[in-house]
Amino acid sequence: MIVTVLSNPNHSRAVNCSLQRQHSQLPAGPARSGSQRPGNAPAARDAPAAQGCGPTAVVRCQQYPPLRALQASAALRGASDEHKKEPWASSSQQHFDSPPAGHQPEQKPQGPHPSYTGQGGQESEDYESEEQLQHRILTAALEFVPEHGWTAEAIAEGAKTLGLSVAAAGLFHSDGSELILHFVSECNTKLSELLKKEQKLVQLGEAEKKPIDEFLRDAVEARLRMLIPYIEKWPQALSVLLLPRNIPSSLNLLTSMIDDIWHYAGDQSTDFNWYTRRAVLTAIYNTTELVMMQDSSPGFEDTWRFLENRVADAMTMSNTATQVQSTGEAVVQGLMGAAVTIKNLAGLNQRR
Amino acid sequence: MAAAVAPVLRCSVLQRRPLRCGPGLRPVPGAGAALRPCSSRVAQEGINKPVIDRIIRVDHAGEYGANRIYAGQMAVLGRSAVGPVIQQMWNQEKNHLKKFNELMVAYRVRPTVLLPFWNVAGFVLGAGSALLGKKGAMACTVAVEESISEHYNNQIRTLIEEDPEKYKELLQVIKQFRDEEQEHHDIGLEHDAEATPAYSVLKTAIQLGCKAAIFLSERI
Repeated sequence: MIVTVLSNPNHSRAVNCSLQRQHSQLPAGPARSGSQRPGNAPAARDAPAAQGCGPTAVVRCQQYPPLRALQASAALRGASDEHKKEPWASSSQQHFDSPPAGHQPEQKPQGPHPSYTGQGGQESEDYESEEQLQHRILTAALEFVPEHGWTAEAIAEGAKTLGLSVAAAGLFHSDGSELILHFVSECNTKLSELLKKEQKLVQLGEAEKKPIDEFLRDAVEARLRMLIPYIEKWPQALSVLLLPRNIPSSLNLLTSMIDDIWHYAGDQSTDFNWYTRRAVLTAIYNTTELVMMQDSSPGFEDTWRFLENRVADAMTMSNTATQVQSTGEAVVQGLMGAAVTIKNLAGLNQRR
Repeated sequence: MAAAVAPVLRCSVLQRRPLRCGPGLRPVPGAGAALRPCSSRVAQEGINKPVIDRIIRVDHAGEYGANRIYAGQMAVLGRSAVGPVIQQMWNQEKNHLKKFNELMVAYRVRPTVLLPFWNVAGFVLGAGSALLGKKGAMACTVAVEESISEHYNNQIRTLIEEDPEKYKELLQVIKQFRDEEQEHHDIGLEHDAEATPAYSVLKTAIQLGCKAAIFLSERI
């Protein structure tokens, strides 16, 4: 058996196989022993003979990519008690140092608990990625923010409601950056969906198309209203978003939100106007947000009035800019006309 | 653990747009906008947004610049014998620019910040080369069109490597424009471009400028 392992060029995989079997035996517990699992890993399906024989099982194991080695080992483990014996243990011990480094990265993508994926490697619907898990925790943590602020405590409370240990808060930075960015991202998504729904209504003819200033006003107001439940702690969030570490992400989120609003407002500019419009709207949004932090009027009326005034200013500014441009063009044309007239009068304008 | 998460956040933030819309897989929060659900952000699902962004942005800038170059040439040589030839080439470039404007809106691509600069630089190049006479203008045309043809060919190669089926429409547009630019190049040669004094120096200088313009417009 050991000779087979050594002589095979792919022996490292076989060793992984047995190594992982060793490892996964630990958390697996008594439930793993016994008969072959019905949700078969390919190892078992393709190698019915493996149930009976050690060396064949090793050979079979080698044929699969390392990630599958875990299932292969599980199948082997489940195959028969005979294999959980010294020959395996001694062979794995002898080759213990060969690829422990190769072994680690294979474990990692499987998730924090091998038991989730042990038999279920094929069932990717049940498998939750680390990102999905983080997303769930942060979403759950949001309801504790008004009480605890944007902190690790809120995340810990959120983790508790999901039935996870409070140590899950260790997945994130202690200043709550990820929680805040997650919240901003969620708000932006909600705004996008809202704008898309409105656009659909207009396309179906069930709603009037709003004039631009009203559209911008409503969009910014809708987005800022999402902050109201968290308004007490929002200044803290703003300062965290301005940390150098977070600036790329928060800038990214801000610019795509503004781009979205303009897109649904019907902006189709392909020149420098593209930048001007977005810069103006960003300024409006940021100043209104700051005003909202200080606002203590009922229903934030002062903020909405401020917003209305700023949007009106922006519209006036753009109208004025257009007027200045056309006036300038008219003046230039007037001057050119005057020059041609003078040339004609002086007899200089001879046709070549 | 946090240290392991941070690089993941950083990596996904650097990705400007989603490369694929995985079913049910939500993104890491720090990368929020970069990896949101696709539907609101692209004209079609599943395209390689960063690559298409660059292609459309630089092509738009190129056509805009070419427009301005011909405008400059017309301003000087408009009333000369070669005026109609330049006018005809200019009209085709205007069509190209119109098409790219449409594509830019459809794919929600940001135009390059340097547009005002290309506005002036293009006009100055066109007028400057036209002041060298008809041959100078044609030499400028030859140089620029050669650069652009090569550039379009590179893009066609890139798109074909990605997925010829998915980008069929875009490929068709770029191929057609490349053929027309090639025509302009040939027209330039027909009109004695190579007889310009210091032709090779002029050509090299202009092509270097074009390469720089392409590099910058793709990124900024």
